Order: sequence, then C-alpha cells, then structure tokens
Amino acid sequence: MSAKDIGGVAPAAWLALGGLVVVVAVPFVAIVLQAIFPAIGMGSFAKPFSLLGATLADPRLLRMTGNTVLLGTCVVIASALLAIPLGVARALYRVPFAPVWDVLLLVPFMIPPYIATLGWIMTLQPHGYLEQLFGFNLAPVLFSLFGMTLVMTFNTFPVVYFAVSRTVEAVGARYADVGRVFGATPARAFWRITLPLSAPGLAASLLLVFAAAIEEYGTPAALGRRAGFDVLVTGIDTRVGDWPIDLPGAATLSLLLVALSLAAFLLQRWILTRRSYQTVSGKPQNGDKRPLGYFTLPVLALFGVVAFLSTGVPMLAILSTALSRTISGGLALDNLTLDNFAAVFGNSAGALGALANSLTLGVATALLTGLIGVVSAYVVVKTRMRGRALIDIMTVLPNALPGIVVAVGLILAWNMPGLPFTPYNTGFILLLAYCCILLPQTARYATAAFVQIGDNLEAAARVFGATGAVAFRRILIPLVFPSLASAMLLVFALASRELVASVVVAPVGMQTIATFIWRQFEQGSVGLGMAMAFVTIVLTTLLPLVCLRLLSRKSLIKE
Amino acid sequence: MSKKIDQDADAVSAHDLALHYGDTIVLKGIDLSLSRGRTLALLGPSGCGKTTLLRLVAGLLQPTRGTVRIAGQPVADARTGLFAPPERRNLGMVFQDYALWPHLTVGGNVSFPLEMRGVARAERAARTMRALRRVGLEAYVDRRPSDLSGGQQQRVAIARAIVAEPRLILFDEPLSNLDRELRENMVGELAGLIAELRLTAIYVTHDHAEALTLADEVAVMRAGEIAQLAAPDDLVARPASAEVADFLRLGGTARLSWRSGTWFLAGSDHAVAHEAAPSRGREAQVLLPLAAVALSGPSHKALPARVVRSQFRGDGHLATVVLAGSPDVELQLLSAARLRPGEQIGLSIDPGRIRWFGEESHSTQEKKVVTC
Amino acid sequence: MLKSIKGLVTGAVSTLLLAGVAHADITVYTAGPQSLIDKLAEGFTTETGVKVNVFQATTGKVMARIEAEAANPVVDVLISASWDTATDFAKRGWLVPYASPNAEKVPAFLKTETAVAQGVSALGIAWNTKSGTTKPAEWADLTKSEFKDLVNIPDPAQSGSSFELTAALAGQDDFKLFKDLKENGAVIAGANAEALNPVLQGAKAAVFGAVDYITFGSKAKGESIDVIFPESGTVIAPRPVMILNWSKNQDEAKKFVDYMLSDAGQTLVAKTFLMPARSDIPADRPLIADLKLLSYDAAAVQGKRKETLQQVSDIFGAD
Repeated sequence: MSAKDIGGVAPAAWLALGGLVVVVAVPFVAIVLQAIFPAIGMGSFAKPFSLLGATLADPRLLRMTGNTVLLGTCVVIASALLAIPLGVARALYRVPFAPVWDVLLLVPFMIPPYIATLGWIMTLQPHGYLEQLFGFNLAPVLFSLFGMTLVMTFNTFPVVYFAVSRTVEAVGARYADVGRVFGATPARAFWRITLPLSAPGLAASLLLVFAAAIEEYGTPAALGRRAGFDVLVTGIDTRVGDWPIDLPGAATLSLLLVALSLAAFLLQRWILTRRSYQTVSGKPQNGDKRPLGYFTLPVLALFGVVAFLSTGVPMLAILSTALSRTISGGLALDNLTLDNFAAVFGNSAGALGALANSLTLGVATALLTGLIGVVSAYVVVKTRMRGRALIDIMTVLPNALPGIVVAVGLILAWNMPGLPFTPYNTGFILLLAYCCILLPQTARYATAAFVQIGDNLEAAARVFGATGAVAFRRILIPLVFPSLASAMLLVFALASRELVASVVVAPVGMQTIATFIWRQFEQGSVGLGMAMAFVTIVLTTLLPLVCLRLLSRKSLIKE
Repeated sequence: MSKKIDQDADAVSAHDLALHYGDTIVLKGIDLSLSRGRTLALLGPSGCGKTTLLRLVAGLLQPTRGTVRIAGQPVADARTGLFAPPERRNLGMVFQDYALWPHLTVGGNVSFPLEMRGVARAERAARTMRALRRVGLEAYVDRRPSDLSGGQQQRVAIARAIVAEPRLILFDEPLSNLDRELRENMVGELAGLIAELRLTAIYVTHDHAEALTLADEVAVMRAGEIAQLAAPDDLVARPASAEVADFLRLGGTARLSWRSGTWFLAGSDHAVAHEAAPSRGREAQVLLPLAAVALSGPSHKALPARVVRSQFRGDGHLATVVLAGSPDVELQLLSAARLRPGEQIGLSIDPGRIRWFGEESHSTQEKKVVTC
Repeated sequence: MLKSIKGLVTGAVSTLLLAGVAHADITVYTAGPQSLIDKLAEGFTTETGVKVNVFQATTGKVMARIEAEAANPVVDVLISASWDTATDFAKRGWLVPYASPNAEKVPAFLKTETAVAQGVSALGIAWNTKSGTTKPAEWADLTKSEFKDLVNIPDPAQSGSSFELTAALAGQDDFKLFKDLKENGAVIAGANAEALNPVLQGAKAAVFGAVDYITFGSKAKGESIDVIFPESGTVIAPRPVMILNWSKNQDEAKKFVDYMLSDAGQTLVAKTFLMPARSDIPADRPLIADLKLLSYDAAAVQGKRKETLQQVSDIFGAD
C-alpha cells in the first residue's frame, strides 16, 4: 500500500503493541503453552499434549460446557427481558426522576457479584432477612438455575439498559419521527424503524452480557454447586484450587472458555459489520420525549421494583449484615452495632491498607488501560497500519479470559526462572492482571469515540503545524476524553473490587479489598467483610460520580 | 501550460505525481506549477482525484511516484522516500467539513496555528482577533464552533487558515456544504480576501462557477489526470475537449460528419456548417456554445428541435433541447421566454461560434451528464 | 488536576514497589487464620528483626500458588491446614529436616523429621443454640427428623480435614451414615465458612464436621453457636509447618519455626482457639486429651481419596 500514513503513528503503534504484548499476549501465550506442555511450570517442554486428551475426554466436560452455555443464554434472555422495556421507556418517554433511576441502576455494576450473591443468600434462605421480616423464604428458588440467572441478571442487565436507552434515544429522535411523518403509528415506527436500527447496539450489549455470564465465578460457585450445576469456571477453580492441582487441565478448560467467548465476539462482530448504522452521531434531544400518560405509574413501579431488586435488596442485605453484632442475632435492635464499621476504619486486619492498595491499583489500572486503550483504538480506527487487526484482536481477547485464567497465565509467565526482572510478587503483577482483564472496557469506548471523530479534525491539526504527537494530545485526546473518562471510571470501580485474580496473584503481604472481604468470610467474620463491602461500594460509586460532576463542571464533558 | 523554468519562483509544483492504492490508480502522473500570489483551481467531478492531489500537496498522503515542491523545496519525493509531514510545510487549509475542533473555542481554533508556530501569547491574541475581524466574527471569539451557523463556521475555518500567513493555502471544496445564496456571497468574499492578502492558493471545487470566479488558473481534472490547465478565459473560449466543455457547461457537444461539402450532425440530415475544414478528417467533435444556438422563426433553414427541460438562470431561461431524429445530442440555448418541456421549436446555429475539437477527442456517444 | 494525577501515579508506583519482597526477609505461605499469622509475624519481627512476608489463603489456593511457582519458588515456610501436605512434600523431597529445640514438648504424632504441627484443629458439630432443635450429642443425631433439611456438610473435596472425617466415618458403616444424612436432607455446602454461615443465620441448624476454631471464634463474638465433639469420636487436623528446601533463608526460617513453637508463639495459637501443638501450653477449649479420636488408617484413606470423593458426590449429587 503506497498511501502510507503520514508519520506520528509509529510511536503510537509501538506503544499500543508493546502494552498489549505485556498485558495481554504474555499471559495468554503462557496459558496456551501450559495446556500443551504440562511441565512448563518446571521450565520443561516435555510430553506435549500428553494431558490434553485426558482433560477433553472427561465426561463431565461436556456437561460443564453445556451448563456454561445454558447459564450464559439464560442470563442474556433475562437481561433482555428486563432491560429492553426499561431502556426503551427511558429513551422515548419522559420518565419521572430519570437521572435518579440511572444512578440506581448503575449501582449493581459496583456491587461485586460474589457479595451480591451472598446478600441474596442471606435474604432468601430459611431464617434469612426475608423470613425474619415477612415470615417466608424463597430458598428453593434461589439455589437453582433460575435463582442463578436472576442474581446474575440483576448484576449485568444495566449493560443492556444503558446501551438500549442510548441507542434508542438517538435513533428514536432522528428516524422514528420520520417514520411517523410517513404514516407509521408510534408502535409501528418502533417495530419497523427504531428496533431494527437499535439492533446492533442491543446485540453488542447482549453478547457482552453473555461473555460476562460465562466467566462469572462467584454466583455459580455459591449457588450452582449446591444445585449440582457445574460450569467451566468452577471447573477451572476446582483444578486450580483443589489439591492435587491440575494446571494443564485448568489451562485446557480456560481455552475452551476462551473459545466460547471468542465465538460470541465473532458473532457480535459479524452482526455489527453487516448492519452497522451511524446513528449515534445525532444529539439526543430531551425535548422530543413524550409524556407517559396513563402509563406513568406502571412504568414508575417497574423502575422502582427493578431498582429495588437489583440495588436495594443486595445493598440492604449487605448493610444489615454489616450492622449486626452477630449473624445469629438477626434483625433486632439490640443486635445493632457499628463495631464492624469501626473495625474497618480502625484498620482491623489491615482493612485500611487493603482499601488504599485497591484504590491505588484502581487508579493505576484506569490510567494504564486508558493509555493503552486509547492508543490501540487510535491505531485501529485512524490508521491503515499493517497488523492493526492483530492489535484489535488483542484488545478484545481479554473479554474471553476469565480472571482466574489471567492470573494463572501471569504467574506462569512472570515466575519463570532466569528473568532479569519480574513484577511477580510485587503489586505490579496485580496491576498487570487488572489491566489485562479490564483493557477491553477502555479500548471499546475509545474505539467508538474515534469512529465518531471526522478524519479531518486530525488532518487539520497536522496542516496547521501540529506534529502527530501534538495533534494526538491537543485534538484527539480531548475529543475522546468524555467517553474515555467514563470507561476509565468504570475500570477504576471494577479493578478496585476484583476478586478472582487477586486471590491467586496477590503478592505476599499485600491485601486488596476483595481478598480482605473474602478472607473475612472464610474466617467467619461475615459482618466485617460486609462492612468493608459496603464502604467499597459507596466509595466506588461516589468517587466516579463526583469525578464526572467535576469534569462536566469544567465542561470537559458535555451532557 | 505555463511551466516556469525557474523552480524557485514557483510557490508549489508537482512533477509526475501519482498515487495508487494497490491496483487502483487514483492519480496518474500530474505535472503542475503555481507562482507566488496566484490561485489555482482544481475542478472536476467526484472521484476525479482533485482532493487526492490537494492532500498530496498538504502532506496528508504520500505519493506513489513523483515529487512535490513547495517554494522550491522538495517536500515529497517517492524515489528518495523524502517526505515532510504536513506540519513542516507551513500551510493553511480550509476543509469541506470545516474540521473545527469542537472542544476549542472559536478563538482557540483560530490561534492554534500560531500556537504551533510558537507565537507569544499577546501577539497570538492580537493576530487571532485580526483574522476574525477579517471574516467579521470578532464578537464570537469565546463561543464554541457548535454555537455558530454553517456559514459562520466556514468563516472561522478561513480565519484559521489565514491567521499564520502561510505561504500556501489549500481550499478543499470549502463552500460545498453551504446553501446557494451563502455560497455565492462567500465566493465573492473569498475572492476579495485572496486578492487583498495576495494569497497563493489551491482551490478544489466541483463548481465551475467558483473555479472560474476565484482562480487565476484552472486545472480541469478527470479520472486522475489533468484534462486541461488554463486561465479561466482561455478555458471558456477554447476548451480542450468535449469532456471539458461538458463539465464547464459551455453548451452542447456533438459529433459532425463531412458529407458533400457540408458538416452534418452525425447520423442525421441536419446541416450545421458549410465551410470546409481540411485539417480535420471526415468526422469532427464540436462544442455548440450557448451563444452559437438561438431560437429562430419557422423558416425552412431552421433545425427542428424539442425542448427537454428548462431552468431559470437569472438572465433568461436555459433550455435543453434535442434535435429531431438525434435524441442523443443535447443542445443548450438561452431564451428570454420560458419554454415548456415537450414544446417543438426551431433552432439556428451560428457556424462561426462553433468550437472545433481535435480528432483525437473521444466520442461523446456515452452521455456525460455531470451531476456533482 | 494534572499535578494531582502525577501525585497519584507516583504514590501508586511507590506503594506497588514497597509491596515487593526484600530479600533478607522470609516468606510464609499459610492456610491458617490471617490474624494468627499477623501476630506471629509481628512477634517474630520484634524478636529477631527479620521481616515476614505473608501469603494467606485456603490450602487449595496456597498449593495452586506453589505449583504455579514451581519453576521459581519464593516460599520459605509453609503452614498447611492438612497433614497430607507434609507427607506429600516430604515424599517429593521438597522439605528440609529440622528439629526445633522448642518441639520437645510436641507429642511425637504431631511431628516428623521434616514437619511439626503449629497447632491442631478438630472437627465437631457446630450447632445453632437458638435453632429450636435438641442439642445433638452424636453424629447420628443429625439424621433425626428434627434436623430434616437443617444440616450442612463442608465439601470434603475442598477441605482436607472434612475429607478425613468423611473417610473415617464412612469406613465404619460403608457410607450408611451419609446415606441417612442425605435422606434427611443434608447438603454439601462449599468450604468450611460457607457451610457455617447459614447455620449462624438459622437457615440450617448444624454443620456436620465443622472446623472447631472458627466456630469457637464465632461463639466468642457472641454468636449463638456451640461446638459438640461426639463421644463416638472425631478427627483432628494437625497443621504442619514445613521449611522448603529451595529456601535461601533457611536459618531465618528455622528461627521462625522456633518462635512459633515458643511459649509466646504457642500462646498466640491458643488464642485463636486452635489447640496448641505443645502439650504444656494451656488453652481455653477442649484439648486433644479431652477428645476421642476415630481410628483409621490415614495412608489407606488417602490412597482411596478419589474413590471416596466419587462415592460422596454420588450420594449427594443433584437428584
């Protein structure tokens, strides 16, 4: 290709490539090697493929794979049923208190899934909070595929809700009204115009939910095991966590999981490339929204119920447990205590250290994924460089890598003998793990943002005397910053509560929020764990919101 | 083509400039030069390569072959691999989509080129205001571009292009996103600005009126090549080919054949001209300019024709007609009265005003209705 | 704004770096309680000046880490919750023989050439005193109808001591007890804490084979819970301490073992409601001498681990 890029790209490309190799490729390759060479941990390439057959021949494998797909599919369907009506109502109608609902539906993101699950268990099991308050329990519902689906749906449906409300809002304002001018009733305009145009965004968000569901650990572990419902992730955890350890088997299962996720993402790509419309460029206009009329109360009730179930129940369960002197004391005034919170802020068991570690790591992860994500997205969207498809794949790949796989891969890769330096056993290994797991978030947002930016904005900067680097910093970064900032705040929240990888790779002597909570649970201090969880959720919800508010006040972000 | 021997006198020149994307040839080998203080228009339909040529000069693309020089200095040379990035070419540019940075104020946009050149803050502010004053927008310095109308945005883009007094300004269809009235006003303003500031400019457009109004020289481009490079008057008086004439809408083009001492419209009995044209063979390609075609009374010498469409043009009605029996040949004429589509009329052609093309010109059988 | 980001980054980097391992220290991996190892480490550092880096997790996670690190191990001292580990690692030749002078008062069955117990936990019935059920005295009491659907069993696949109890009891009556438990609606419910938590809230009345020290800890915090050690016998889980042969700090590691077995160290062990390994240290709980132990052939039981687990999962598997 002779129309080469005009300079200024090479450093960006190298930065992207270097970052991606360290963050994504290294652990992934280590996992692949482990699956093939069972003794790679000892630095030996002996007996390749010797254990692959045994793992794949395990009859339970088929059941685990089937269960994984089944659970993912159920969560996708449930999320769609829950989120689409809410998203559409939010997008097209004047829903009272809309910003409040948005914040409330954002909170489930911030509740670590394993905590939410525990909250549900403590609410619904016999003598749980529900029974203590109303005299009945729903235990049979909870410990089943249905219960798992429900708990996981409440955790992931906001992805779909926000995707639907954004795209439908843009499409509805611009195209559905045109349909109505040409004689379509509102319902027909919705079915014939709005829905088809929103389909790619909807599909993308649903596949994201699928990927998240099949690599979720906490809920299947807590609810599924009792229902005899094994999935690949719990299978991997068993192989990594039960003596004797079977790392090659875990690696093989991981690759199977990767294949499933990858299939989902290829499907999403295929849908997006086949039917992608530039609809997001139009500014959504609030003025166009219609009143709900008779439906005001039902819609409000729906929002209220969903917000209560997804945010209220887990948060109340967490708070009640944190405020209880003893679990067996139940919901009683004389059992009320602030001791657990006092213990957190009194640095009991290193609680404050864990908070500081996690918040620091969260900020560092957000900055690093922001940098790699924005540079990779730039190379992929704005250049014609060779090998940019590879960069694109590497930014998507971690979506398919469960945290535990990343963690094992990182240990394998960075604990090889003879490395001149290694991040292993320092906080940097956690940073690498978080960056790998969360990189797709920033990369995806940045990609979408770059697609929206006309090529001439950068060209103009170059013509008017800016070098490639200056144009990137002065023009492109500020333009993608609103999207990037939201993604980075999300990364911050997710990184600061990451559990699975943290438990496996946390350096000796270093606690994070999640390992702290997990440890308290393991040692019977459920209340202390829950107090920490509550503090964390409040922090990770409030800090990003405050940041966004500050940024929008400085008019760095519109909306 | 007025190619200068002294390269240093040229503000910009290109030699054998070509660009291929794989097997697709976008530019075939362009030679051109432009003296300081003059304006060159690149005129042509969509996909003719004019914007590509402009982006090669800007440094937004690298040539596959050939060289570009600005002020005598080579800035791109495919053979040596020399390539100066855009920021080192000291240019100004106005983009079709304005390309104003939405996150900067109007003032921030305009002062950006000065900032990149390291101009001190106070001087920057003064020059920014001067440039904005020139386009009549000094009151908008603190506004966001998105608060402005399309015409105002384009004025900001122009202010940004001239503020650093670059040695060359590139215009990439700057007015095509504006409505007609605004466009016509802006052409006048731009012409004034170019003359007043003695700008050296390359102006890409698909609008022949803009090109002929603004430029000292016009390069008509077609399929990756320059079909004709000439001053506007020359271009109108002596289009090099039927395609050029067609594109400039100078009138209708037709093929004539020489039969028994008379030029007939090819494939018909309509006699058009009588004088012999010995240097040409028995076939000729001609332009029948507006001025050559007139309505005539119903005399026996009149050519019978049917009106296809008619459009008001300010100084009369521009009618497109076909001669009876030759539906492929469309002629144009100016009529004081409105002619209705389908109306039968008689035409007279002034042979003295016919523009004869060389035999080498292509057939016009393939109708080229320029739509861009 | 930019400055504060820079500050954050610098802070982050320095925090991360400080978390690294300095090389004169020792690294301890422990499956024991975090609070215990924290106090032991603190006391040891005060006494010797040697810093202790701690990684605390379940036995399974600790093993996974050692396995993954096999090519470049960093652990000096390992405290497992399962004696099995000591046997297995000794067989692999990974352990350094060491007889601590402080180990004299440790009974012979709690030490080998290469390992010595830090403390001992036992399994018992954890029973919610407010559950409205009769206080059980025997394992078999949990098959009574008043415990219908109210019994949790820690997963023997996830807990070493739970496996030994299962194997020992199953060996006595060929799984009849477990079949009866299943009949009575008992469920296998994750690792120890996961099994205990529902009992605290009252969702279940009892844990069949709960790790005693966690339950004693909960009781001390005021939970309405008690531990019963059945007359018919139970199993104990000595928690072996080992020094790995790849350790570059073996002298410090030995000092750590010494400290752990010192009066101060063993008192700390006793305070977490574990039975101290040394018989001369008092503890506020029943000691080994007070318990009746099931007799079984540990080696044979471990040899049939896979089969036993399969049978358990066949009995308790999803219907």
